[in-house]
Amino acid sequence: MLATCVGAMILLLGRPDVTSAQSDSVAAETCVTCHQAMPDGPLSDPVKRYGDDVHSGKGFGCVACHGGDGTVLGPEAMDPARGFLRDLSRPQIPTMCGHCHSDPTFMRQYNPGLRVDQEAEYQTSVHGRRLAEENDSLVATCISCHPAHGIRPPSDPLSSVHPLNVSKTCGACHANADYMADYGIPTDQATKYEGSVHGEALLVARDLSAPTCNDCHGNHGAAPPGVSWVGNTCGQCHSVQEQHFQTSRHGELFPLIGIPGCAACHNNHDIPAASDEMIGMGEGAVCAKCHTEESEGGTQALVIRRLIDSLRTQLDSARHLLESAENSGIEVSQAQYDLEGAHSALVESRAAVHTFRAAAVDSSVSVGLAITDNAFVSGIKALGELRFRRTGLAVFALITVVLIVALLLKIKEIEGPTMSYIMFTRELRVPDDRRPGPSDRHDEESS
Amino acid sequence: MIDPSATAPEPPRRKFLDWLLGTSVGALVLAILYPATRYMIPPEAAESSSASVTLPFAPDDVAPNTGRVFKFGNRPGLLIRTPTNELKAFSAACTHLGCIVQYRPDLAEIWCACHNGHFDLNGRNVAGPPPSPLEDFTVNVRGDEIIVGRKT
Repeated sequence: MLATCVGAMILLLGRPDVTSAQSDSVAAETCVTCHQAMPDGPLSDPVKRYGDDVHSGKGFGCVACHGGDGTVLGPEAMDPARGFLRDLSRPQIPTMCGHCHSDPTFMRQYNPGLRVDQEAEYQTSVHGRRLAEENDSLVATCISCHPAHGIRPPSDPLSSVHPLNVSKTCGACHANADYMADYGIPTDQATKYEGSVHGEALLVARDLSAPTCNDCHGNHGAAPPGVSWVGNTCGQCHSVQEQHFQTSRHGELFPLIGIPGCAACHNNHDIPAASDEMIGMGEGAVCAKCHTEESEGGTQALVIRRLIDSLRTQLDSARHLLESAENSGIEVSQAQYDLEGAHSALVESRAAVHTFRAAAVDSSVSVGLAITDNAFVSGIKALGELRFRRTGLAVFALITVVLIVALLLKIKEIEGPTMSYIMFTRELRVPDDRRPGPSDRHDEESS
Repeated sequence: MIDPSATAPEPPRRKFLDWLLGTSVGALVLAILYPATRYMIPPEAAESSSASVTLPFAPDDVAPNTGRVFKFGNRPGLLIRTPTNELKAFSAACTHLGCIVQYRPDLAEIWCACHNGHFDLNGRNVAGPPPSPLEDFTVNVRGDEIIVGRKT
């Protein structure tokens, strides 16, 4: 009722048009004259922060939301008779924001690409329904996520709704156990998300394409995904896995028995990085949560795991073999290039796991194994070439050493008798008095 | 007078050394000639991939709105001819998990079959899980040759 009254009042006041809104800039309004001179607190802070607000940049002043008369200096400007809205209550806020943001003709003047169904979506959200139906005084409204007087566009890294900040914004309420005490829902979602594969990608690796809260729950129409459409939510990005899943027995049965699709194996907020260990019946295998080894599902899981493992190990071995050859200077780039096909086959076979049929996985694995077999042939041939060259080098080195030794011996043999003869005849020619005696040695020592 | 050295048999050690020298020289010549001959025949060697590669097909072999995967070093590349007849080349390794991407004429987009990732004709990731654009290469056409190189 109150919201309706506010809406009616705003309609009576009329919507600011482009020209008047821009001329009614915050600086031109008398509100600023008084409020920025007030002591720090709720009456002056909005004015100080509003300079960074996206609405300020577009020329909207205080009157655009608060009503009143910005041309009059003094308390008269805030006369309810002049349309001033004192103390906006929670239910009034969506109506007030929607007054402009739900009007496509008006919004087109500022941002033609911006959606204008935020208010309508909000009314369908858990937040909006609780506000409308139960007048919940704690529930989020527009300004809970878009802080009043400091609203920035989502693309601004300082915005509370920038992808890097969304989990903190939602967590401000949802991670506060005291605040959420009456709702009986967990308050560890933000913490779990931050440690998940998505949280790591977004918050640590700064990959802005990684999802955050609103990508799965919606933003203005925020609500938990229903059991039957979890797959659709995840399938926004993981479409191949979703297609496989929808055609599988799990995809058919899970909604009927109330199991939430993807989340049954991958969790919802604390989604770990997918790994091959999740397949099969061993430790960490999610299949073992429902299936026994003897069951048909367990048997399929074990076969699928063996298939994936075989391709992965063969691919790793082939890669290692080719790297060894490459590091030794043998040309194997063609084999390495071809091996990329086996990597693609492994990725495809991992996606095919979501069919939960070994035959579907095997069709990708077989393609990959054929490629790794060829890579092994190339790698072994390359290493054979390497061995041949090394052996050739060793033989060459050995022959060279033998030749050098033989030459030295031959030289010694040829020179041996001749040198002995020369030394002998020299000794014969030296007179006795010229031969060095003890006195000469003494002279040498004294000198 | 008869020179005893002229009729005396050659000592066994000298014979052995002569034999050793003779065979070693022969083996050395062989050990040099064989690898030299072998090296004269060029081994299988790839074109240097550090900077550029000449593609093994001519510009006319790539029709408008088609693409061909080529070998760039030991990694795959993708050459496309856009519907507007422009040649462009990118790394063919998807930026998500490294699968080989392909050109989809029906979409006029580059597409990764592994997880349905889509890239536009500038290599930018536009849909699906790829987190970043494809690495783009320079394309130069010289006569019948297409030379693709990394951007510096």
